[in-house]
Amino acid sequence: MSEPIKVDIWSDVQCPWCYIGKRKFEAGAAIFGDEVEVEYHSFELSPDTPVDFDGTPVDYLSQRKGIPVPQVEEMLARVTGIAKDVGLDYDYDHVHQTNTVISHELIHFAKSKGRQLEMKERLLKAYFVNGEHVGRIPDLVAIAVELGYDEAEVTEALESHRFLPDVKADVALAQEYGIQGVPFFVIDGKYGVSGAQEAEAFANVLAQVKSERAAV
Amino acid sequence: MDDTTPHVATPFVMVGATDAAACEGDFCEIPEHHQQAVVNRQLDADLV
Repeated sequence: MSEPIKVDIWSDVQCPWCYIGKRKFEAGAAIFGDEVEVEYHSFELSPDTPVDFDGTPVDYLSQRKGIPVPQVEEMLARVTGIAKDVGLDYDYDHVHQTNTVISHELIHFAKSKGRQLEMKERLLKAYFVNGEHVGRIPDLVAIAVELGYDEAEVTEALESHRFLPDVKADVALAQEYGIQGVPFFVIDGKYGVSGAQEAEAFANVLAQVKSERAAV
Repeated sequence: MDDTTPHVATPFVMVGATDAAACEGDFCEIPEHHQQAVVNRQLDADLV
């Protein structure tokens, strides 16, 4: 049996296209049919965002980008509609705009336990669907405990920032690779796929890798 | 990583649509074709 195709994905917890792209990639992998091995990597879209941003995502975008509020509301409504199309119920009325670095630390903590994919999914759902805060340690610990992790161990890991170097290493690697936006998928260390592509695009590149391996 | 660290860019072969939606910095683009898709879906919903 051949080794599964490795897929490295750079993504941020507060990136709407990353969650939508995740669903589309999963659909593409299902079309492909063979085993793939997925590893997520941290990417901070807005590392200077305060943990407790005082305002809504509409406020954030209108203030930071100077986009009129009605236009921002229209944009978010469009993204919400696209998310709906892939089965995700985004709830921007309850999203807590925040700094995601500690949530990335939690994903690396989960990775050290062999459970990265579960935590990645849970944190995306927390941010976009559940309206949970993904920037504060107590909120993140609560999510981890819900998944069965030891409260004291998670708290220690996040308060000590033991996994921060792993987050920064992912970000640095993205810079080395010239990755400027997310989601960004690297298939088998060779092919790059940028953005929330359609499922067929992912299926096609996975099939391409499979055929190349068969030809060797 | 400092200024003396050599940058070894991995030359990925880029595949897929060039206009797929992505987030860069603190802003996320919404491609035009997605807008139309959502408008169409809303029109369908309104009929219901």
